[in-house]
Amino acid sequence: MGVTKEQVESSLKSKMNPSHLEVIDTSGGCGASFAIEIVSEQFEGKRLLERHRLVNGALAEEMKEIHALSIKKALTPEQWKQQQEPEKSNTAA
Amino acid sequence: MATNTINLSPIHSTSSLRLLSSRSSQNAPTLSFYSHPRPSLTFPSISLNKSNKNPSKPRAFTTITSAHKNLTETELIAVPPLPDEVSGKFPSDAGVYAVYDNNEELQFIGISRDIAASVTVHLKSVPELCSAVKVGVVDEPDRAALTQAWKSWMEEHIKASGKIPPGNETGNITWVRQPPKKKPDLRLTPGRHVQLTVPLEELIDKLVKENKVVAFIKGSRSAPMCGFSQRVVGILEGEGVDYESIDVLDEEYNYGLRETLKKYSNWPTFPQIFVNGELVGGCDILTSMYEKGELAPLVKK
Repeated sequence: MGVTKEQVESSLKSKMNPSHLEVIDTSGGCGASFAIEIVSEQFEGKRLLERHRLVNGALAEEMKEIHALSIKKALTPEQWKQQQEPEKSNTAA
Repeated sequence: MATNTINLSPIHSTSSLRLLSSRSSQNAPTLSFYSHPRPSLTFPSISLNKSNKNPSKPRAFTTITSAHKNLTETELIAVPPLPDEVSGKFPSDAGVYAVYDNNEELQFIGISRDIAASVTVHLKSVPELCSAVKVGVVDEPDRAALTQAWKSWMEEHIKASGKIPPGNETGNITWVRQPPKKKPDLRLTPGRHVQLTVPLEELIDKLVKENKVVAFIKGSRSAPMCGFSQRVVGILEGEGVDYESIDVLDEEYNYGLRETLKKYSNWPTFPQIFVNGELVGGCDILTSMYEKGELAPLVKK
């Protein structure tokens, strides 16, 4: 059973229109545990709880099979840009 | 109590006592060094000081207590005003210590595995009562030896003054940090076999609104059964939050809670943390808020 990384990705892509998405299968193969980083305009003006709700909602079907979903990051494109810049300057230096 | 009889029994030789006390220490921890028994019951008739001065009649505790001096013989050491400076003036050894206020009134006799650390703690919590301290380092500080040292100082002081140091009175909690009591987990229902008169949703609603912080976790707060619940408990405890916990896996007292709570909160996973009746989120959100320093202002009154 379980859900594949691809299923999670395609659901999130179609429903959240993310500008950045990273899905990591942390289950060790059984497909019951994922970690997600997602950047989407839909998060604009929403609290963290509401952002997580959006992601959970987008994965409603998959959640039936998923035991643990860890949303590492749920950012707006603006926040994502801010987070990326210091990292870039670090690597440049 | 087992410890008392073992410590004070005059029939054991020193070596057999050591052996016995180290072996029996597992059985003896119910004796609190700090909880002071009522004076009428306090001390056996054996005079400790007398036996100390009488080496021809070696008693079990003679060698144990000989490492430190009598209370009156011990020099008073002034406590520095700043807690940081305490460790320079007091030994970080195990032993007995007596704290005096600025009228040189004995306030408390305690024992410690690290006297400097204990004095630091006292100085932080009750600076007005910590003016000077007498210290008796105990060599080979097993539990029996420390208890014995404490008893000898207590007895000496009571004999001389006729009273127990105020900090050692029963019920005085000025000096002793109470062991952090873990609250029991809350139960939502009286039991699976009892027919509920109100829907589970209402019980949940009432619960989260009547308690400031409620964590629905897998397992009990003392033994969370999943890593995420464990992290949540760790964060809340670490922040010193006064919170209630409910075990969603408890099928006897919280039967049906998981499914009902998911609907109630519109949140698919556990743990779930409620503050002021509102869902804050699960482990990820709590962790992220904690890291950003947003948690403390929310959960503190």
